[in-house]
Amino acid sequence: MSKYTSIHVSLEQAKLLVKYLEADQQNKADELIAEIQNPVQTALFEEIGKLTRELHNSLNNFHFDSRLNDLATADIPDAKERLNFVIDRTEEAANKTMDVVESIFPVVSNIQQQIKNVNPLWHKLMHNDLDVTDFKVLCRDIDVLLTTTEKETSKIHGLMTDVLMAQDFQDLTGQIIRKVIDLVCEVEDSLINMLTAFGMASKQEQSNYLPKLGENLVEGPIVNPGNRKDVVSDQHDVDDLLSSLGF
Amino acid sequence: MKVLVVDDFSTMRRIIKNLLRDLGFTNISEADDGNTALPMLKAGDFDFVVTDWNMPVMQGIDLLKAIRADEKLSHIPVLMVTAEAKKDQIIMAAQAGVNGYIVKPFTAATLSAKLDKIFQRLG
Repeated sequence: MSKYTSIHVSLEQAKLLVKYLEADQQNKADELIAEIQNPVQTALFEEIGKLTRELHNSLNNFHFDSRLNDLATADIPDAKERLNFVIDRTEEAANKTMDVVESIFPVVSNIQQQIKNVNPLWHKLMHNDLDVTDFKVLCRDIDVLLTTTEKETSKIHGLMTDVLMAQDFQDLTGQIIRKVIDLVCEVEDSLINMLTAFGMASKQEQSNYLPKLGENLVEGPIVNPGNRKDVVSDQHDVDDLLSSLGF
Repeated sequence: MKVLVVDDFSTMRRIIKNLLRDLGFTNISEADDGNTALPMLKAGDFDFVVTDWNMPVMQGIDLLKAIRADEKLSHIPVLMVTAEAKKDQIIMAAQAGVNGYIVKPFTAATLSAKLDKIFQRLG
């Protein structure tokens, strides 16, 4: 707002001013000038008054914003609990899956062993090089193999269903994480509002800022390697980097 | 061959143990951070260490440095299996004397290839 735009000098006021100055009535001329400027000052005072009220209100609102209080005392502790639940459920699922897989290993080994037992005589049979005694042995071995395979594969089938069911955590943890993301967004908005209210937010600062690392350079998994120049994106990159350094 | 697997997550230790067992390593012990691993290494005759980087109390990089600084342990090959993927970190680990560096997530084939390379170099 230019301070000149709202000054309106009338022709009468101008003539009066010239008259005062010609009559050497400096005080009266000054008074007239002040009178002409007065409307501007009034507007300025009104503006300052309005701003003061707004600041007062926003400080009051800020102070009494119970949502902020809820966020800090209830929602964030609740989110921590939810995230711990995610850790527990994913760990549980990983262990359940590995329990099953580890129990399948010996079952598969057993079948492999039976096949190994059958193989030499089977090979002889395929080359018409098997006598009757060996043929009887082979038949017995194959019988054992069939019985074992039937029994063990139905066991494996059941175990694979267990592996399948162990993945049910994804649905629950996905919902929880989505809720926590919503909460993080809300906290983010509140913080930005707060910064804006105090005139501290700047778009430029936001975009130039990289998250700070903890001690010892540790950052954990990189979720956006495509946007980063200081990280490798896969094992190939690691191998290339190390060999370029002579390791 | 006696192997020590160091990771703060039991699931990851279990995955690595299973993969190592598949590759013929049967004598495997576990530790959940560098601070637990170091006394085990000093007490036992381990031939090989697989370690994570980011762990509570004592990080993998500090474990590596401690191993290289200890006369009795400095010969033990160390393979790092970690989610830490910053170039600075990889260079830091290489300079500290790591024998192999695998970034998570990794495959069984990667682990096998790195082990082959490490033991090939050691002869």
